[in-house]
Amino acid sequence: MRLFGTMGAETSFREEDFFGREEELSTLTRAALEGSRGIGSSFMIYGPPNIGKTSLLLKLAKTLGTSGGGDGIPRPFPLYFSFSQILSHPLALSQHFLQEFLSQLLRFLGDARPSAFDPATMCDRLASFGVTGCSEVLAAHTRCTAEGDGLSALVNALSFPFSASGELFYPVFLFDDFQYTGKLQGVPEGAMLSILRPYIKSGHFPMFLSGSSPGRVTAALKREGLFGTFQMIEVGGLSTDASVRLWGYLCERRRVDIPAPLLPRASERLGGIPAYQRMLVEEIFFRSAKVPDAVTLENLYAVSVTEGKLNRYWREFFENTFPDRARRGRAIRFLKRVLCDRFPLDTVEGAVSLMGVSEEEGEAILSALEFKGLLKADLDQVTFVGDPVLADFLYWAFERGVLGKGTSQVAAAIVQARLFHTAPEPGQGGDHARRVAIVKELMRKWDLREVPLLLFDFGKFREKFGGKGLLEVVIGMEGEAVRVRLPKVSSVSTGYRASRGAPRFDFDLVAYGFLEGDFSEENLVIWAVDAAVEKNLGARAVEHFENRCRLLALEKGLPPDRLRKWMLIDETADPAAVDLASRYGIHLSHPTQLRLFLNLFGLEELEREPGPARSPGPEAPRAGKTVEYELILPIKADSEVVAARVAEEVAAFAAVDADTVDRIKMAIIEACINAFEHSASESGKVRLRYLLSSDRIELFVQDDGKGFRSGTPEESKKNRGWGLKLIRELVDDVEIVTGPDGTVVHMVTHLGGDPANPGTVRQGRGGPASSGER
Amino acid sequence: MSQFKTIRLREEGDTLVVCVGGYLNSLLGEEVESVVRARLDVGGRRILLNFQGTQMVNSIGISFVIGVVEKVMERDGRMAFCEVSRINRDLFRVTGLEKYVHSFETEKEALDYLAGNA
Repeated sequence: MRLFGTMGAETSFREEDFFGREEELSTLTRAALEGSRGIGSSFMIYGPPNIGKTSLLLKLAKTLGTSGGGDGIPRPFPLYFSFSQILSHPLALSQHFLQEFLSQLLRFLGDARPSAFDPATMCDRLASFGVTGCSEVLAAHTRCTAEGDGLSALVNALSFPFSASGELFYPVFLFDDFQYTGKLQGVPEGAMLSILRPYIKSGHFPMFLSGSSPGRVTAALKREGLFGTFQMIEVGGLSTDASVRLWGYLCERRRVDIPAPLLPRASERLGGIPAYQRMLVEEIFFRSAKVPDAVTLENLYAVSVTEGKLNRYWREFFENTFPDRARRGRAIRFLKRVLCDRFPLDTVEGAVSLMGVSEEEGEAILSALEFKGLLKADLDQVTFVGDPVLADFLYWAFERGVLGKGTSQVAAAIVQARLFHTAPEPGQGGDHARRVAIVKELMRKWDLREVPLLLFDFGKFREKFGGKGLLEVVIGMEGEAVRVRLPKVSSVSTGYRASRGAPRFDFDLVAYGFLEGDFSEENLVIWAVDAAVEKNLGARAVEHFENRCRLLALEKGLPPDRLRKWMLIDETADPAAVDLASRYGIHLSHPTQLRLFLNLFGLEELEREPGPARSPGPEAPRAGKTVEYELILPIKADSEVVAARVAEEVAAFAAVDADTVDRIKMAIIEACINAFEHSASESGKVRLRYLLSSDRIELFVQDDGKGFRSGTPEESKKNRGWGLKLIRELVDDVEIVTGPDGTVVHMVTHLGGDPANPGTVRQGRGGPASSGER
Repeated sequence: MSQFKTIRLREEGDTLVVCVGGYLNSLLGEEVESVVRARLDVGGRRILLNFQGTQMVNSIGISFVIGVVEKVMERDGRMAFCEVSRINRDLFRVTGLEKYVHSFETEKEALDYLAGNA
């Protein structure tokens, strides 16, 4: 005794999960109801696997089950039947069909679902509802079965619903997976349609055939002269609106939070295919993942695809359809070329030739693919369906099978490809390589130091001095509450850049280190570093970097706070890029900040690559525009060197000659030393400002000390007291403003040369100034 | 930050060659003064300061160099500078050092001068 019911997608259908497709439902419902008047149309519903055709049929069945009838008009009886679950022998099919018909009709008429197939009892129950002739049909079917006449048994079973109908109801067939009817043993393809033909033609029995192989089915329809009778409906992904509503429902049910602005993008990502939406929400729920942004969503998606969570259907399909590994590999490679690489194909010959196999084997592969709807239409026009999950699954299967890549690598590739971010140009050696080398050296040096975050954070400078200039530098004790604890770095590896023109997935540097000096897994910290290639850092490059960082974290299983991200700006950065970096917690450093770092770690800067002579670039101050830099120095031995380095950088912007640069550096060193030695500042800080305009460089060194006290012997060391005198010789103008709140030394170097005394220090005027000359 | 203190010593005949590298500040100045004093104490009288590697100088560093020059002169020693950058030469001029110490383009010229060959 067989139990009732098929166990396909219809058993898991939940009406409340169904969203959208209002237009299709309305068209199909109207056509079904018009059967009562003999003008009902039949429809061929097609679309790729997983798209939701079955759900559409089942929703239609529910809708029809509660509509129509009354006032003597027969009600439509929706009979859902899937051909995918049956045995391929027509006898088995006819038996199964009868079971389904009797069972569903009884339920339609108001009976409970019978627990087992007992034909005699069911016939009696039907008779009590006024449905007669059942026993005769069953007897005839038994006879055909005994004789082994499959085709007659099929005719007998399929005709019964029509003869059994009448005043009460009329059958509306919802035939799912109809392409399987072409595979019945000993029955010519199209026999099913031949049997149903008179009923379809009558207009009283609208029929809805669904399947993923429209080429095969339409060919059969044409052979039977039925093609003109059927209307075609293509089922694709849900509309964005419906898909977003589905997200809302699914997320609510699983208490998963995906921010609303991400939903349209998420829908697009999954092609609006409800099955994938459901599976992705399940994945997010299962992983207890947070989805704060699009990148996280992409990563989750990519990992789910590569782990086979979203595309189990496809994995099983390929394994079942192509049990032979070699043939499976060919099919996957072929589809990957066509679907993912968009390899153009328009003939079967072309397809076979692309597979590089014999015509026979090629056609067998194509036939199997076509049967599953992977070829959209007849083989004379090879067009492939677009299913984003299938495409990514193929990509993964290909990369894994052919290139031996790991899941995480393919996931990274999928995300990169899909995020559609332009990769920066491949690395350029020269200055780029130099910056990378500097950072590598820095990282080797740092050892559980704490550095002011301002050394890392370009954005903070902008925030603090926004609009004043293109670069502002602050180092030292002001606002030093935030410090970055540097790990003990144990290894620094130099990455490589993908030179194939493809998006890059690597970093310029990856450093592995440990917090607290304890070499344990819990203390592992990874620094990912990139030196920007483009002169002006854009938001895209930042986002691209962030994406790679997340993949790295995913791959290494690092909690977010254990991956430190650092980008080096080449020259300038878009405000949007700076904001984005700040949002993502990416450290951004300008080359000037790098120099400050070098000083902090006591490193000499590496030799600059010989390049074209520096000329005033786009950043050089134009007439009337003043660029301002600010630096706050702790009063600490040798920190004047930092001031000199910044001065050097400022002077370099102005493209002044080397001698002038040297003089400016020396002048600011002297001014700083003077402030350090004599100010007795309580704050322990000295503030420096560099003003760069088209005709001058102005330097201000300000302390909040006790002020200038003329003639007071400040110190008695021998040979000292040259500072102010040197400053006067080194720059063109010096002004000292002093008072009880401190002293400001204002120095000016005119650019464009001092005609009276070009590039030289003026002659000395005797010995050092008296002590305490400030 | 002692990383700026780099000093290298070399004997060239009777002459002690002191190569002053990095940032000539008080620390490095003290170091120069110390090695020269030690040399004078053991009877050395010829000192050459090579400034080829000197990237920056401050006034305190210069004051130590002045002190060194004074010590050498006190002991009737002979002293020279070589490979002084343009900016440092200017600074030495401003501070009057160049009046007391000859400065040469190359170390060889300076050594020849100290050996009495020049």
